[in-house]
Amino acid sequence: MPDPRELVTDPRDLAISLRAVSKTYRSGRKPVHALRGIDLRVPKGSIFGLLGPNGAGKSTLVKILMTVIRPTTCQGEMLGHRVGHKPTLARVGYLPEHHRFPEYLTAEQILDHFGAMSLVPRADRKKRIGPLLELVGLSNWSKAKVKGFSKGMRQRLGIANALINEPELVLLDEPTDGVDPVGRRDIRNVLYELKRQGKTVFLNSHLLSELEMLCDTVAILVQGRVSSQGTIDDLTRNSRRYEIEVGPPAGAAPDSPPTSPGAFSQQIAAAIRPLALLTSRDAAPPTSRPNDDAASGPTSGPTTGAMILAATGQSNSGTELAHDRHIALVVDGTTIRVATDDSGVVQPLIDALRQANLTVKAVRPVRETLEDLFMKAIVDPATGETLRPGADMEGRKA
Amino acid sequence: MFLQAKAMLVDAYRELNHKKLFWIVLILSGIIVAAFGIVGINDKGLTVLHWEFPGIFTTKWIPEPVFYKLLFTNLGIKWWLAWIASILALVSTAGLFPDFLASGSIELTLSRPIGRLRLFLYKYACGLLFVALQVSVFALASFLVIGLRGKTWEPGILLAIPITVAIFSFLYCVCVLLGVLTRSTIASLLLTMLFWFLVFGVHTTEKSLLFFKERNALQQESTLTRIQADEARAKRRLAENNPKDGVDPTTGLTEVERDRLESRRKRLVELQSTAKPLSRFHTGFYALKTVLPKTTETAELLERALLSKEDREQLRNFSPGANRPDPESGDNDAPFTQSELGERVENETLSRSVGWVLGSSLGFECFVLGIAAWIFARRDF
Repeated sequence: MPDPRELVTDPRDLAISLRAVSKTYRSGRKPVHALRGIDLRVPKGSIFGLLGPNGAGKSTLVKILMTVIRPTTCQGEMLGHRVGHKPTLARVGYLPEHHRFPEYLTAEQILDHFGAMSLVPRADRKKRIGPLLELVGLSNWSKAKVKGFSKGMRQRLGIANALINEPELVLLDEPTDGVDPVGRRDIRNVLYELKRQGKTVFLNSHLLSELEMLCDTVAILVQGRVSSQGTIDDLTRNSRRYEIEVGPPAGAAPDSPPTSPGAFSQQIAAAIRPLALLTSRDAAPPTSRPNDDAASGPTSGPTTGAMILAATGQSNSGTELAHDRHIALVVDGTTIRVATDDSGVVQPLIDALRQANLTVKAVRPVRETLEDLFMKAIVDPATGETLRPGADMEGRKA
Repeated sequence: MFLQAKAMLVDAYRELNHKKLFWIVLILSGIIVAAFGIVGINDKGLTVLHWEFPGIFTTKWIPEPVFYKLLFTNLGIKWWLAWIASILALVSTAGLFPDFLASGSIELTLSRPIGRLRLFLYKYACGLLFVALQVSVFALASFLVIGLRGKTWEPGILLAIPITVAIFSFLYCVCVLLGVLTRSTIASLLLTMLFWFLVFGVHTTEKSLLFFKERNALQQESTLTRIQADEARAKRRLAENNPKDGVDPTTGLTEVERDRLESRRKRLVELQSTAKPLSRFHTGFYALKTVLPKTTETAELLERALLSKEDREQLRNFSPGANRPDPESGDNDAPFTQSELGERVENETLSRSVGWVLGSSLGFECFVLGIAAWIFARRDF
């Protein structure tokens, strides 16, 4: 995992910088460690996503930032002031998870009330309320009481409420919870607009696909600890690869007897075997590491510097064709997985396949999704089992 | 800072405005003030609009201004505002803190640039707004009605506003503490009512013990007076050296008189022995009452402010049976009246300073609020 302190070096470029944040509370007699030493850095002007399974401590962390929960230990700053500095909250917008607005107020009154609570002068509130309701698509409901609002409408109003003080930093806890697809798109657009305006957005969400679309940087929280953190590019770099899908020889008669899958894999392996050394030599300095399991190849082996070009027999994931310490090639059925993000490495392979009269049906750059990263993060490396949801309770086996 | 206080007050007003009970209480207050307006007194009896109800209540006994003040303090304050309206106010406001602290709601406010203590105090003040609005309307309307009908413009009536708000606040602070602890409207309301009955129970017990203590003192004084009279009579007879028939020449008393004197002496000893535990119990309850809020005494402060000493005396003498001997005053040689006993109890009550009544109650309120604020400020939501 990249050290969060290395992501951005100048503290002035950080909206949030946290060190050793912990929270322990008691459930009955047992202490529950909701957060266990969180280090986190959120660059200014970015969209930051915090993800994790239920009970990982995401909401607890956000509540600590918003002074709703008192941390057990906490070092760090938010917008240049220590966490817990109340006046700073005038520059922060917050959408709590499962928020509940007073039902007797109208949408307009809610924005007016919470705007005043955030020390926004009356004249500014009057100016902002209309455009904000317009932004979240509630302008026709400004005079309606919240009592009659659907969940999605309440969520939209919550987002408007988080923006009433024109915050520099917006913390949104599950902003798309209960929102329909159109609403989600609208919210995404609002977030992009906020980013365009140079504001920092801190998102707490379970919806990985949305985070992937929106976020510049993410952190994965598991049982009160940050398991990985960085830009999505950084986090998925090791998993980047190309996949080449190979078809039967060009011009083969449609009624010719089908080759068995194992034999066809061997045929593919044979076609690219002579090029393995060349590939290695001609490739740009590789970025992959041998323990990259995205290629599902062997993770250890000779480190002589020369690519070993040898089939090692049938593995679980397919026929291992070749590997060296930098690039692994795996033939899996009709697909060759090349553990590199360098398209130059792939070209000779394509040529070799064509020379062997095989059809290159598709060449795809592939990388892990946020969901893959997430799933990897919540698997116990020792047991291979998914970690139980919830905070770490003393005496309980994680 | 002012912006936030104003926002919270406006919000509290909107919340109260939304609650139907607020308007129900206000309408009922209006009906009671209207009742002041239509009820009157003249030299023949009570009047309701243009109907007359001849009886003992006439202006000969109670002057018209005193009648209205009494009506206001006894019916308007002691019954309506201090009891019924306070219960309704508690029902209306008991949910303010539990709703405020509910998950999803508290985060919206705690995440604002406002300290928790200030937030807590603003919210508490908002709860008092309910009663302050109600009682202000009631007191102002009563002031006008009493002025117009009783021909007496008594600004002291407006003291009902701080006094009633204070009474309500003594209970509301308990309700807030319970609301912060339990986060349940029903639990905080029911437990506050229970606490109120406890306070009322302590007050009633202390008042009863005071009554018995004063009666015991009067009985002792009365019995002692009779013993002294008997002894003086005996001495006089002995000094006259002229014993009458049936009088014992050594004691100067007849057999009947001697028995009666003996019986009185025994009674005096009995009364003195009863006085000690009575006084001890009374002191205990008085001490307990000192640390508890004094809702009834606080309500009576208004009566103190509105009624002069003469008014009181007149009323005491007017009360039915006031001049009758107290049934426990013994034989009729030197009886004391219920009016005398009432005066003794009243004087003792009036001797309790405003500082004691309000100071100790406000002390209790500060203590309870302090605990509630401390919990609120330290809690994770």
